[in-house]
Amino acid sequence: MSVTTPPRKVASEGSRVRPLVSPRLARLTSLRPRRRLLGYAVATGGSVALTLSFLPIRNDITPLSKGFGFLVIVVIAAAVGGLWPGILASFLGFLSFNFFFLPPYGTFVIARAEDVGVLFVFLGLSILISALLARAAERAEAAEAREAELQTLQALSAQLVAAVPGPETYQSILSRLVEAFGFSAGSLFVQDAKARQLVERVTVGASSGDLSPRWDPATDEHPPERLPLSVGGHNLGLLVLRGARPLAPAESRVLRAFCDQFALVLERDRLLRTATEAEVYRQSDNVRRSLLAAVSHDLRTPLAAIKASVTDLLGEDTEQGAEYSKEALETINKETDRLASLVANLLDMSRIEGGMLKARVQPVDLTEVLATCIDRIERQWPRLRIRMGTNDQTSVVRADPVFMDRVLTNLLDNAAKAAGESGTEQIELESERSDGRVVVRVIDHGPGVPESVREQLFYPFYQVSERHPRLGTGLGLAIAKGFLVLMNGEIWIEDTPGGGATFAFSLPAGGDR
Amino acid sequence: MRKGRILVVDDEEEIRRAVGRALAARDYVVETAEDGEQAVAAARRFDPDLVVLDLNMPGLDGFAVCRQLRTWSQVPILVLSVREDETDKVTALDLGADDYLTKPFGTDELMARVRALLRRAGAQGSPPAVRFVAEGLEIGLDAHRVIRSGEDVKLTKTEWSLLEELSRHPGKLLTHNWLLEHVWGPGYTGDVDVLRVFISQLRGKIEPDPARPRIIATDPGIGYRWLLRPAEETEQLTS
Repeated sequence: MSVTTPPRKVASEGSRVRPLVSPRLARLTSLRPRRRLLGYAVATGGSVALTLSFLPIRNDITPLSKGFGFLVIVVIAAAVGGLWPGILASFLGFLSFNFFFLPPYGTFVIARAEDVGVLFVFLGLSILISALLARAAERAEAAEAREAELQTLQALSAQLVAAVPGPETYQSILSRLVEAFGFSAGSLFVQDAKARQLVERVTVGASSGDLSPRWDPATDEHPPERLPLSVGGHNLGLLVLRGARPLAPAESRVLRAFCDQFALVLERDRLLRTATEAEVYRQSDNVRRSLLAAVSHDLRTPLAAIKASVTDLLGEDTEQGAEYSKEALETINKETDRLASLVANLLDMSRIEGGMLKARVQPVDLTEVLATCIDRIERQWPRLRIRMGTNDQTSVVRADPVFMDRVLTNLLDNAAKAAGESGTEQIELESERSDGRVVVRVIDHGPGVPESVREQLFYPFYQVSERHPRLGTGLGLAIAKGFLVLMNGEIWIEDTPGGGATFAFSLPAGGDR
Repeated sequence: MRKGRILVVDDEEEIRRAVGRALAARDYVVETAEDGEQAVAAARRFDPDLVVLDLNMPGLDGFAVCRQLRTWSQVPILVLSVREDETDKVTALDLGADDYLTKPFGTDELMARVRALLRRAGAQGSPPAVRFVAEGLEIGLDAHRVIRSGEDVKLTKTEWSLLEELSRHPGKLLTHNWLLEHVWGPGYTGDVDVLRVFISQLRGKIEPDPARPRIIATDPGIGYRWLLRPAEETEQLTS
């Protein structure tokens, strides 16, 4: 309710006790010095003027009127300047009343006993009025000060709570704080969990490292404020604020309250970070689980077809013709290829992700690599037609021949699948030379790739979902990209005019032959 | 001779072909569907005697197909799954599937399941079996008696209703929850331990060798299956 501030340690380290005035006095003298001076002037000047103006007519007026005249001065002085100007006016009035206006005039002797009573009643009354007025004024002022405190705190808190976690926010909050309390510089130190010590986070108004979290009596002439930030006894950080003057108790109180809130925000940010980390972990856990399901599905499906066909051939409960056996064997052959290619892709991917691969870059004849790949793809997709648009000029690139083969196989396989889906059964291959690089395009007329997913398509296992696990083409494209990156190559997706996707990649040209 | 019409549903072409080929070679009439929508449409048009259904398909998956088929058809459903996850199989069985097979499977295993399911479906029109006879054991559901090695076996009320539920669906895989619900009541679903205790008691009373059950088979993590074939009408229960 009042400004009673018990002596206490303001800083955590060191035991600096703020010089303290009596709380009561602090309350009554809290009016601004300027107004108090004015009050003294009113008390002195008013008393002199009143005395001078009453002197010529002192025999015509009763002591009561004179007394009320002086009382008016007391009231004005107390209202303007507070208790002490009021008391001064009371005593001046008391003396002047006695000396000039109570017979016999010109002495402090009072002739009538009644006048003695009047005089002392006057003195008592005026002191009482001064005290009452001063107290009312002081209360109003205290309420005003409290309001100001609350407003400062609320403004800072609102900013704090609305803030997005991060150093930029701390910076702006710290500048606001330094500005609001008239500090020259401030630093925020945050307890680092790993280093197990305070680490400087942001500094305002001084260069980093100027303000030390530790109290050093040797160097600190005016020791800065050191305000610990803690929640539930858990120390989260420290605010160090340097200013020219010591803080007023009210300011100190606001600052403490603000520090408590700041500590809560620090704690919130810390918890938020922890939650984010947990979320990332959970997601990677999900990816792992989906991946396992996808690998299990993709390995087991061909195995199931093979097993069914083999047991069928081994079984003795049907008469099987040569045609029937051939069909079953074809299934087995095809599914074995599928398994082999999946295993190759999984191995490639784990080697790329494990960072164990090194490209042995050398001049490679593109047409030669293409010929082998096309041959293989055409055997795998008998109905597919591949049209080539490659000329000698663009035929040599700098690449690793083995990687090159894997890139082309995966891209052609992907295009073949897209062609199969749309029923066009045709893909095209083109290459051109530009800016010292050779660009190869694998063009299909399938369903195409929407702009929005082009980037993700190259992430490994992009197509994997837990409900319908398929490794699918995502793995092949990720592998193609992985190998290209190792060979200083690039890969991207374009639209095929008239519909479909074009997978383009570029590699450094292999020079002229 | 027409042995049966079978609808094979799988999104993997090679599985469809391998399974379809094997079934066709054994004189079944086979139709295939490559996704859930096709499967539902084919089930209406083709009117199969049995559906071989892959659970894991993009779009409308096996579970959804099960649910849809069961709204209007009692056709036996044999579920194919590549997952080890028991909950998938239990879910499918609870949705109305009749049996399951884990990929990869042998053709002989597939044929055995297909025959069993078709046989049971064929027997569905006839009155429910009331008598079982095997190796010195005679069970008369109507007479409410179990005789083992010539002696009456006393069954508790719960054991008796468990025996009734199991034997009423010979060959069919009954899930834990199905049994708990039908023997104990809807409040008991999930209480597998109770079921396990009573199955073990029942086995002790009727199985020749309870350690190697041949009447009530266990599908670990899923449920139980009654293996005894119903006795022929002419066989008489000895008194």
